[in-house]
Amino acid sequence: MSRFLSAILVLGVLAAVLGITTAHQEILEPQLYLYITENFKADTGAHNAVAAILLNYRMYDTMFEALILLTAIIGMKQFLPSQEELADATEDGKKR
Amino acid sequence: MSPEERTARNAGELPEQSLILEVVIGFLYPFMLLLGFHVILNGHYTPGGGFQGGGVLATLFIARYVVFPVNDTGSEQLHLNQRFFLALILLAPTGLLFTGFVNRNPEFQSLYLTLMDILIGLQVGFGLGVAVLRFAFFQGVGKVWRL
Repeated sequence: MSRFLSAILVLGVLAAVLGITTAHQEILEPQLYLYITENFKADTGAHNAVAAILLNYRMYDTMFEALILLTAIIGMKQFLPSQEELADATEDGKKR
Repeated sequence: MSPEERTARNAGELPEQSLILEVVIGFLYPFMLLLGFHVILNGHYTPGGGFQGGGVLATLFIARYVVFPVNDTGSEQLHLNQRFFLALILLAPTGLLFTGFVNRNPEFQSLYLTLMDILIGLQVGFGLGVAVLRFAFFQGVGKVWRL
């Protein structure tokens, strides 16, 4: 019963999100694209629009992208065994 | 390779390694370092930048592992370096960019971009190095352990 309710909830949220997004279609004009391609050199001093966006216009994105690598390494260190944990590891998982 | 290491290998403590591999990787090692820093330092002129250059720098750890597979680099130290550069990545834009300092002084713009590319490159290089070495020296195949 609770699984049925969960499925109803998930489908309801999905339908609501899809309905809202299709009801309010926003037509974006290419203003930002035109602004960045015309002004990135004067704004940021970069000769490369990708570097200008990554390191100046969208710096928050780059900062938190750098955090993703740290998260990945922390997860890896957490789930790979250390030398001490491997010392009493066995072939079949039973405790010696 | 230092003489002590060669003695250790000849004494049978290390597996036999191909001489071709050793010589070629030893020859390529400085060029890999050079390419990595070239990609990082030209990040705001040419395609490339911190992340790509960091990936090239991380191949140095792989090359060293291929020639000399001994776990003496210390992935804890590498991870400490990575966290240090990550803290700088979070601090430098907070102090320089978000306060408007860089945008008010155009003469510092290139310097700021280069600084950020270097920080990101070193952070990614150390981070990928930790990941590669940690998996390369993984010794738990076929075993069951408790976390």
